[in-house]
Amino acid sequence: MNLLLALLRLGLGGTFLYAAVTKLPDMAAFAENVANYRLVPPSLVPAVAAVVIGIEISLGALLLAGRLARGAALVATGILAVFTAGLSQALLRGIDLRCGCFGGTENATWLTVLRDAGMLAVALVLLVRGPGRLRERAGVTRDQPRDAPAATEG
Amino acid sequence: MRTLAEAAIIVGAGALLGLAGNAASPRPATLAHPVHSAAESGTGMCAVPGAAPAARAPRIQVEEAKGLCDACKAGFADARGASDFAAGHVTNAVHLPPAGHPAEAVAIAALRAYPMVIVYDGDYTCALADEVAHRLVREGLPDVRVLEGAWPAWVTAGGAGTSGFCPSCHDPAEVHR
Repeated sequence: MNLLLALLRLGLGGTFLYAAVTKLPDMAAFAENVANYRLVPPSLVPAVAAVVIGIEISLGALLLAGRLARGAALVATGILAVFTAGLSQALLRGIDLRCGCFGGTENATWLTVLRDAGMLAVALVLLVRGPGRLRERAGVTRDQPRDAPAATEG
Repeated sequence: MRTLAEAAIIVGAGALLGLAGNAASPRPATLAHPVHSAAESGTGMCAVPGAAPAARAPRIQVEEAKGLCDACKAGFADARGASDFAAGHVTNAVHLPPAGHPAEAVAIAALRAYPMVIVYDGDYTCALADEVAHRLVREGLPDVRVLEGAWPAWVTAGGAGTSGFCPSCHDPAEVHR
């Protein structure tokens, strides 16, 4: 179970990091994508876009490193819930928009919602079950307890 | 509680990291400038929502438009969205989306220096250029055309693009006085 959790964590972290890196070269375009969701006041859009990418980088790095992994899983759960809700409301309102998920021009569809929901489920699992580890420590055979020190995670 | 504290640290650090990353980005989001959705600015689609279809404005072929650009005999107005305009536009074109922008009076004033204004948008089938062309006519500009084939045709034809001034003139206002 620990190995599976670790693999999920690495997958989620890698995805967050990739998503951030693809957006960094054109933050202005990502800000336009954020504006098109029509969830954020226009004056806050540039700052929100920058903060989202910064959080994605942090989540990616921390999940990959296995540091502060519970907190990262909590933030990932929150941000993915917002992404999923934002995409869903846009599609339900008939707004034709680009996803903005990985830079580029990918259109938002219900498949995009499904992908985000899948990532949300992974984040929830990591939040509830812990970050796992790739190699079992000697004498440790059970899942890591929820209140285990962060320094031993990963 | 510990998890919540970790989450707060991550959000705070992420926010600072994001602002730093934005500052370092080749195309940063300008924090002081509001960003409106395409639907609100009328630049993300080929027609303004709720507006009646624009009548077809007079067209001009790309080759003729290129000659006028090189000779500084025409001003160009770009009706596309801000990001498309920033990514590349006809040399010396002004940005003039259908919904306008804070500096549109200056842009229109610059276009008055030319005997002809050529408007273009991003796609062969778009009606944004027609919207802008009719608006410019209402503003009193005497000869307003829409570029046949739009921006893709201009690029394909090797028209002067990106930024700066037309190749043969550096101060169009001075040339046309």
